[in-house]
Parts: sequence; C-alpha cells; structure tokens
Amino acid sequence: MSVVQVELAVVAPLTALCSVQNLSALRYGAQESLFILDVNLGVISRLETISVHNQGENTKGLELVCKDMRSPRFAYKTEENHPDVVEVLAKHAFPLSHSLPLFAFLYKEQFPVDGWKVYDPTAEYRRQGLPNESWTISKINSSYELCDTYPSILVIPTNITDEDIKRVAVFRAKHRIPVLSWIHPESQATIVRCSQPLVGPSDRRCKEDEHFLQIIMDANAQSHKLTIFDARQSSVAVTNKAKDGGYESESFYPNVELNFLEIPNIHVIRESLRKMKDVVYPTIDEAHWHSAIDQTHWLEYIRLLLSGAAKIADKLESGKTSVVVHCSDGWDRTAQLTSLAMLMLDSHYRTLRGFQVLVEKEWISFGHKFAARVGHGDENHANSERSPLFVQFIDCVWQMTRQFPAAFEFNELFLITVLDHLYSCLFGTFLYNSEQERSAKEVQIKTLSLWSYINSQPEDFTNPFYVDYKHHVLYPLVSSRHLELWSSYYARWNPHMRPQVPVHQTLKELLILRAELQRRVEELQREASSHSLSSSSEHSHSPTHTPGTPLHTAV
Amino acid sequence: MENNYDDDFIGEIVVNEVNFVRKCISAESSQDDLWGKLICTNFKVSFIPQDAPSKQKSKLSHLLLGEHDIPLTCLEQVVTVNDTKGKKKVLGSNQKLKFNPTELILYCKDLRIIRFCFDEAGPESAKKVCLAIAHYSHPADIQLLFGFEYQGRRYHESKGERVNGSTPRGGLQTPIFDRPSDWDREIKRTGASEWRVCAINENYAISQSLPEYIVVPVSLADQDLKQYSIFYTDQRIPLWCWNHVNGSALVRMANINDPLQQKKIDQRVFTAITKSHPQRGEVVRSDLDKCLPNIQDIQSAFVKIRQICVIDPFEESEERWLTSVENSRWLEFVRAFLKHSAEMVYYLDGKNSSVVLQEGEDRDLSCVVSSLVQLMLDPHYRSLVGFQSLVQKEWVMAGHRFLDRCNHLKKNDKEESPLFMLFLDCVWQMMNQYPAAFEFTETYLTVLSDSMWIPLFSTFLFNSPKQRAQYLMDFAKNKAIPQGEDQVVYFPPVWNWSQQLSTKDQTLFNNPMYVGKGAACVQNGEVKTFRRTKKTYSSTMRGTSASQRNGLKGGEEPLPRRGSLLSELKPDFSPVKDESPIERFFRDWFSRPADQQGVLIPLLLPSHVALWKLFFLRWVPEACIPKGGPITAYHKLSQLVDEIEILQSKLRQYKGPSSGSTPLPSPSAPLPDQRRMYFKASSPSDSPTPPDYLSSSFPFTPVGNLCRRGIHGTPISKFLNGARIWLSTETLANDTV
Repeated sequence: MSVVQVELAVVAPLTALCSVQNLSALRYGAQESLFILDVNLGVISRLETISVHNQGENTKGLELVCKDMRSPRFAYKTEENHPDVVEVLAKHAFPLSHSLPLFAFLYKEQFPVDGWKVYDPTAEYRRQGLPNESWTISKINSSYELCDTYPSILVIPTNITDEDIKRVAVFRAKHRIPVLSWIHPESQATIVRCSQPLVGPSDRRCKEDEHFLQIIMDANAQSHKLTIFDARQSSVAVTNKAKDGGYESESFYPNVELNFLEIPNIHVIRESLRKMKDVVYPTIDEAHWHSAIDQTHWLEYIRLLLSGAAKIADKLESGKTSVVVHCSDGWDRTAQLTSLAMLMLDSHYRTLRGFQVLVEKEWISFGHKFAARVGHGDENHANSERSPLFVQFIDCVWQMTRQFPAAFEFNELFLITVLDHLYSCLFGTFLYNSEQERSAKEVQIKTLSLWSYINSQPEDFTNPFYVDYKHHVLYPLVSSRHLELWSSYYARWNPHMRPQVPVHQTLKELLILRAELQRRVEELQREASSHSLSSSSEHSHSPTHTPGTPLHTAV
Repeated sequence: MENNYDDDFIGEIVVNEVNFVRKCISAESSQDDLWGKLICTNFKVSFIPQDAPSKQKSKLSHLLLGEHDIPLTCLEQVVTVNDTKGKKKVLGSNQKLKFNPTELILYCKDLRIIRFCFDEAGPESAKKVCLAIAHYSHPADIQLLFGFEYQGRRYHESKGERVNGSTPRGGLQTPIFDRPSDWDREIKRTGASEWRVCAINENYAISQSLPEYIVVPVSLADQDLKQYSIFYTDQRIPLWCWNHVNGSALVRMANINDPLQQKKIDQRVFTAITKSHPQRGEVVRSDLDKCLPNIQDIQSAFVKIRQICVIDPFEESEERWLTSVENSRWLEFVRAFLKHSAEMVYYLDGKNSSVVLQEGEDRDLSCVVSSLVQLMLDPHYRSLVGFQSLVQKEWVMAGHRFLDRCNHLKKNDKEESPLFMLFLDCVWQMMNQYPAAFEFTETYLTVLSDSMWIPLFSTFLFNSPKQRAQYLMDFAKNKAIPQGEDQVVYFPPVWNWSQQLSTKDQTLFNNPMYVGKGAACVQNGEVKTFRRTKKTYSSTMRGTSASQRNGLKGGEEPLPRRGSLLSELKPDFSPVKDESPIERFFRDWFSRPADQQGVLIPLLLPSHVALWKLFFLRWVPEACIPKGGPITAYHKLSQLVDEIEILQSKLRQYKGPSSGSTPLPSPSAPLPDQRRMYFKASSPSDSPTPPDYLSSSFPFTPVGNLCRRGIHGTPISKFLNGARIWLSTETLANDTV
C-alpha cells in the first residue's frame, strides 16, 4: 500500500499540523495537542481556496466543504519543496477523477467476522416463507440480462412465463419489473416494487403488465384489490407521461387503486439538506432556531416519507391487501418506502443483523445508485445526480428509534457509523450503483464489508434498552410534534453543540452491576449450601434478620 | 339537597345532576361515547358512566378523583353550546343562559378539554347543571374552596385514630420552614455559620408576606433590620436562601422604594452579607425585573403554547409546528430562566461571590431563579424530599402568590401567571439533560403540577404564609379545632403523597437511574458505593458520545490498527480568543465529565431545550404513541433496577450485617409492596415486551379527555390502535439461517 504523507504547517485558526496520510484521511492537529481531528477524505465534497488575512506571507487558506455537514477551514504556510496541499488533497479525495483506485481497494484490515456473508438473498426469502405456491425464486436475471440494475435473484409470481416477463420489462422504465420485496407471514399480502410503466403521452397499454399485476393480486387470497403507491407528486407523474413514463390507469388495471404519496424528487431533498447545513453549521441563530428548521422543510419531507411508509404497512397489516410501490425508476423513493414499511412490519429488520439485511436487500442489491447519489471519489460536486436519499432514510429510522426507544437492537452510534461509511470509501459496501457493477469490480473479493467492522464489535452498536417487540407492527406517530431534528448527527460538528448524557450509558452500567451481583449471589449461594450441610437450618445463617424472610427469594 | 351520589367523600354535597348525558370519547364517531350521569358537587364535576368500565390497569388511579372527575378548581372555562341555534356562551358565576345547551365543553387548567352532549338529557336539568358548574367553579371567597370543608370534617372524623390526639405532622419528612428549627437545620446543612435565624417577623409583625422566621447575616441586629424594613416593598428585608460550601450566599430581596435611602441601605446590607462570607467575597446584585420576562409575558406565552398543543385542530397546527412553538416564546422563556440561573451559578461557584436576587416584590421571578440556582448547585434538592423542601422554602414560605397566580377564585385574570409551571418545565429540562441526577421522574413533576388544581392541600392555596395562617386560624375556629393544633396536621400540605396515590402508584415517582448518595454503582467493573465526596465520581456517565467519535469508537480498541478513521476529538474546539470569564467557566465545566452529585449546568442552546411532551401532549390522542415514548425505556430500566435490588438484598442476607459496605441502608429483603420500582423484574417466563398499555402519555390516558369537533381523521389517527400482534411468525423466524 502506498502511503503519501504530506505534512504542512497550518497556521491560524489553529497552529497545527496537517497531514494527508494513508490516502484515506486528512488529519490536522495542534502542536500543543489541543486536539486532533481527522477528516476522512471520502467525505470531502469540494476543496475551496479562501483568502486569509493577517496570517503573514506565503499563507493560503483552504476550506474543505464536506458531505457530512461541516466545512473546516485552514490557513497554512506554503513552503518550497513541498507539493501543493490542495493538489495532493484533490488527488486523493477524488481518486476516480484522477484515475486512482478508491481507498476501499487498498484498505487491508483483518476482521474476525466476514460481513459479506450477512446477506444471502435465498436465506432471507426462505425466512419469509418463500418460495411458496404463488411465488418463486427466479434466476431469470442471473446474468443481469433482463434488468441490469436489479439483483440476480428475484422473487416473481409462479404463474408467468419468461416471455411475458420480458414484455413486462420492456413496458417498465429501466426494465425494472414488479418483484416481491416482502410477504406478510399470515395474510400473504405482499410488498412489490418496480419502476413506472412506460405509458407515454398516448396512454400505451401492456396486456402482460396488466396480467402481471392481476396475478400479484390473485396471489393474495385475502383481498381482491391491489393498491399501487406511486411515491411521486401526482403532477410530476402526469408530466412524466410526456417523457414516455407515467402511471397505471385505474381503468386498464381492474380492482387496482392508485395513490400518490406526493413526495418531492431528489433535487428538492438535496436542496433541503443544503439549507439545513446553513442552519446548523458553523453557528446557529438562537432566536430563530425552530423557524429556521421549518424553513428547510427537511422534517416535512421526513414526515411525508414516514407517513407514506405507514400507509403501505397499514394497507398490508389492516387491509390485508398487496401493494405495489414505485416512483420513476424505482431506486430512490421506492427503496425508502419499501424498507421503512418493512421495518415497521417485521421485527427481524429491527435487529442489528436484520437491519443490515434490509439495507443490503432493498438498497444495495436493488440498485439504489449509491455511486451517483454520493459521488464517491468524484470531484464533480455540482453533479445533479447527487442527493442524500439514504441519509434521509437513516433519519427516518432514527425518528422511529426515538419514538420506540426499546424496539430496536441497534443504537444511535450504529446509525451514525453507517452514515459515516456511506461517504468514507473505506468499505466496499456502498460503492457502485448496482449489483452487476459490484460483481464486475469484484467488490466482495477486493474490499471489506462495513458489516465486518460492525459485527466484529456488536456490543458497541447495541441498544441496551432493546426488547424484542416480536410480531409487533410499529407505526411511528407521523406528527410534527414527535419529529425532531437529529442534531447529534447534523449538528455534531458545530463546536457549540455539546452532547447530552447518553441514557444508555447508565443502563450499561446497571447491566454490569446486575451481572456482578448475580455472580456474587451465586457464589454465596454455593457457599451457603455447602455450609448448610453441617448446620441445622438455612435460617441460622442470617440470625439478625427478620424471621420469615425466605433465604432464597424467588426472582 | 338530595345526596344519592355513590363515591362522595366527607363533606361533599351534590349540587345538581343530569341523566342521559353523553361524554364524547372519539372525535370521529360517537360509537365509543359513554352514557351516564353528569354531577356537579361542591368539589368537582363528575361523570358516572352507566356501564361500569372495566378497570384499566393502564393509568394512575387517583385516590380522591375518579377517571371522569374534574375538581372545580381545575376548570379554566365553562362553555355551553347550542348546536341548532349556533349559539355559544362562556359561563361565569351567577349568570343566566338564554338557550338550552346541547353541549358543554370544559377547558381544564391541567390542559384537558372535555365535552358532554345533552341530546338525550332533559333540557332544563342540563341547563341547571351547566349553570351550577359555572357558579361553583367561581367561588366568591377562598373559604368556599372545598378543602376547607373537607379538611375540617376529616380532622374530626380521624381524630379517634390519633394517639393522644396528636399526629406529629403525619410523619411528614419534608420540612415546612414554618419554625426556626427547620431553618436552623438548613443553616447547619449548608455550613452557613455567619447567618442566623431571626424572629422579628414573628406574628408577621414586620412584613405581611415574609415567613415568621427568616435567616439574616449575623452582623445585622434585629434593631437594624426593623429600621431598614420600612424602606423595602412590603417591608421585605433581604432573605437568605442558601449557602455554597465556599461561603458565598444566595440572598433575595425586594426593591427599596425611596431612592434616597436605597444607596445607604444597600451598602449596609451588602456589607453585612460580605461580612458573612468567610473570604469576604464580593456581592453581586442581579435585578431580575430588568433581565427576565415579566409575569404577563409568561402568561401570554403559556396561553399560546397551550393553544397550539391542545386547542388548535391537530392537523392545522402540524404545519409549521416548530415555527408556532418558537412564536409562542415559551421555550425561549424557559431558556432565559435557565440561562440566568446558570449565570448566578457562575458567580456563586466560579467567583466565590454572594448573589443578591432583586425583584420588585421578590415574590415571582425570584422564586424561579433562586430555586433553579439551588437545584443546579446542591444535589440535596435533586432528591425528592430535598426538592419538596425547596418548593416549600422558595415558593410557599417566600410568599409566592399562589392564590392570585393560579387564579383559584377566577377574580382577576391579569394576576394569573404560570410561574410555578415554568419552574417545573425548567426542572424537566435539567432532568431531560441529566437523567440520572434526579431522584424523581417527570411523572412526579406532572402529578405535582396537577395538584395545584386540587384545593385540598394548603400548599398552593394562599398568597403568603400570613394569609395562610390567618385563614387557617379562622377555619380552625369555625371547625372547632382546638387552638395550638398544628396547621400542618389539620390542613396538610401536598407533600404527603399517600393522600392522593397508592404506595404502588407512588413508585412511579422513583427514577431508576438516580445516582443518589448511598446508591451503588459500577466503576471499572467493580461495584462501589457512592459517597458524597465532591468530584470523585468520574466514571463513564458522561463519556464522549457518538457524535464526537466520528462515528467510530475511540478509546479502548478491541481491534487494532484502525487508526485512519479514529478521532480523539475533545468536546471543545479551539479556545475562543476573546472569551469572557463566564464563557470560560462554562467551557471548563462542560469539558469535564459531569458529576451527578455536584454542580449541574444545563445546556442552553435552543436545540437543547425541548418541549415537555408528557405535560403538554399527554391528553392529545393524536399525539400519543402507542407502545412507545420514553416510558418504554423507563420500563426496561425499572425492571433491571428491581432485579438488582432483589439481588442486593439476597447478598445482604447471605452476608449478615456486614462491615458497612452494604450498598443500601435497608436491612432486609424488600417486601413486594416496599419495592421501589413500579415495574418489577420479570421472570423468565414473562414476555419481555413492554405491556400493551404503555404509551407516550403513560401513566395518563388521552382517551376521552379531549374531543374537538371538526377534526377530520388524519390517516395516521386510524393507527392509534397501535401495534397489532401476529401469531405465527415465530415458526418462520426459527427457520432463518
């Protein structure tokens, strides 16, 4: 592994050393070791030179605009013989733009657990009770020929021919046909995901597609209806018709009910988070904190997502009706909605391992375009493909953990860690746009999985309050009154934001205390029983205590 | 008057009643509504459902009030409506009503809103009940509050039970500060050796609003104090509140009216305070009227926050919620009081200065600030008894006008202001930030706030100790209670909680996380006992949180060589160059791990100050999270602590009376009804899932407590039934690889 170390004397605001090391992180620290702060190179969105005054000659200013809501600024002295820091930084922060490999391919760490084994689609479908008489695990996409952004293993209805499926694929955007994401263990109602139908301005129909949805409806004996949740704003869906996209017409699809969830697109979400950064970093306007958050609309979009997912979950749980979820391409809002609904419906996904499966399945394998949305190693920070959709999803999960503090096995540190490595490029987990690309780049062979790191020390990421709400559907309360700004994530780089005492710390200590006491009680119990062989009665061991208190209290 | 009322208790008389009344339960349909009898007594509005409801385990059962009861004192507004005529009238006392009401809506001071419909009831009797409720909720005189009737009867009826006719304060542990010995103890406890109890106000000879016994600097003679007193508003000479270990004192006082005298007297008083400081620390004066919102501002903020929380239609107030919260200014004021108090902490703790809180009358803002300062500085006040003594000392005895500020007689709306409520909210903010620092829970604070509206306790009924003494003397005379009998015995304060709640329900007040003196804790894996030595406790209670770790755990690393992403970021960035001493004091304090048994300073950015949801939203069905809320974590913690306590008591039994290293003082195993935790340790056979009745409103239940019309069911309100149960996924889960 090649290591480039560039050390720079950085002057104010800190007299500090700044080094680019291991190609992965920028470290700056004060000489008096006031602090050392690492900025992971993957998190850098763009480098900006800034003007610095009063710092003497040969001093330059640099701002690192980061993807995770911070923009540290430096002043540093330029020295002859030293390579320019901006150049070095740019090269390693944006390796793909400089024909360099992503750091994940250089990172060699040994973990006792192999995170690539976390998700096995067949095992996950088997857990759901699949295949069954209506649904089959299909290899039709095993070489990604049917759909290059879908995973190789798909669950599709049993009673459909490959020919029909191919016709459906032609009718659906990017060939993303309706496939099963989750099946209700009792009612057999299913969550099916796909992309928009290519209806176009002339209201094209596709017999096979209509039939396909009919079969999905029929696979659930409990209901003679099918509900389509189109995540988009209805006006946008209409506009999409002009662009050869569109939505299912209720008159062509009998017994189908179409709902628009009115969720804005990736550009709106990106803009919303950009505004949020202005609100939380580097200073906040104390007098207008709340209204400033309102003005970003971030929580409003969180509310839309959670309420959409709750509608989907409720349709399955109470309505026993199968649902089809799509947006335009079925890889952004669709992934958000299906994964959140599954988190509400299935307690397995609320465990540490189960959540990893959920992310691997609904996001990574189904082709959420992580590379495009995050822009790993790419210097084109203004690319309009970028959008924090996955961050938004994790925020929704965090909102749920706030409302149900005992229902999730993982803790806040886990969620923050996942988000940090969404950007870090340290692990292969979130790299590339599709399963096909990942397999071509041999990601599983050449890089490590984030879950290897997490699952090697699960105790750090476990919520001590966790009790298994087995078989419980959990609907978060989708009300502004209960949605909060996740300031320990978004505002954590604001120097004035001091963290609060984590409650779970106390619980961890109590757990240790309990274990310790338990051990000592057992020890003494053993001692007492060996004693009691020689003495007449158990009670004689505690003569000073009120009689009648049993020695062995039942717990 | 006929008395056919089932649950009445001593002294309660039914004034009026009407049958076939419908209590609205759900906003969406009337099918869950309850039918029954609406009764107005001289104490409360009561609703007796026809069908006795199944006893719900889910909530606090109050010993004096049923599920559908509202004390008359708790009524804020009585509104009658005639649907068909489109008429609406807010009723006061002795009023006429020109239409037959079809509906009665009761707006309560505890934020409930309750609606009754009279569609099947006799129109005349319905009208009479409405008028009776309105009339009796506006008592002409304080003596007409039901407490006077009740406590008089209770005194005589329970007389036989008392040994030799004397109950020494009912075993009350909370000092009342109505006698010199309580003050003496407080002087000793805080080491205020240069301060003395002064009796010049005995029989309220000097001031109408000060207590009979006050604490003053040793160097000021009674004669001096008498001389100064004439210049202070209401003769309120400076009043000692508390002493820091370092010798600095917290003092409160009223304004001096005469500007000519002010300088002279100020100088003498301040000199005396300085003399009482072992290091002769300087005196800092803080004029609260100049730097804090006034009582009208506070009242109007409370009205606004209540409006958006419980009165405005839910869906409409969802839009721009945070902006509405901001516009109400309630949280801003909460922050302002916390911030000002924290600044006083800086002077007392950081600068060794004595602090004098000055306010026009010294009876409103001073109460909030002085009690908050003491809560931050002295862990004693974070215990249950300590907290109650603080309220007694800084509110009741210091002459906070509870009668006027609560507007119990509904005579003067301009005097109404929820200062005590504001104080409780500030306490909650600290509790929310330091969950292990307080012996009591937010349920305790909420029940305490509700107690303000039950007129059976002397605590919140009077404007001053003198007024209390006078009314209670008249009362004793009227009720033939022998002279010399202790007021606390015949008209008890709120602090004896068994007056209101069962022993079991009172355990909801106990915070499982509380790290009090004597409580056991773990340090480096070893079980240790807390001692109240300052600054010794520096375990991981306040360890670096997730946010500082760059998402990766620092510190002890089970796995080596992951250096590249690790950060050892300290909570504070670079020291700011032009930092003021007070900023440096706070920065230093926050850079150390907080000692739960030491000084506690709240975080004060707007993002750190939250809306107190249990208090403000507990009655709003749309805002209730079934199976969720902080209570589910409390549930788990309580079970754990209960299990630990059982283990500890077992250990003690094995060991016998040991060398004093026993973690808890109680010598024997806790009997089931002596266990401190509401939720008991579960046996292995129990399901670990929290019980179904838990919700974010627990132990209160919003069902039927708020029915607004014109609310259209939001999609999510359909989900209020909460989590549903599957039966057969278990087998599926077992199949998982």
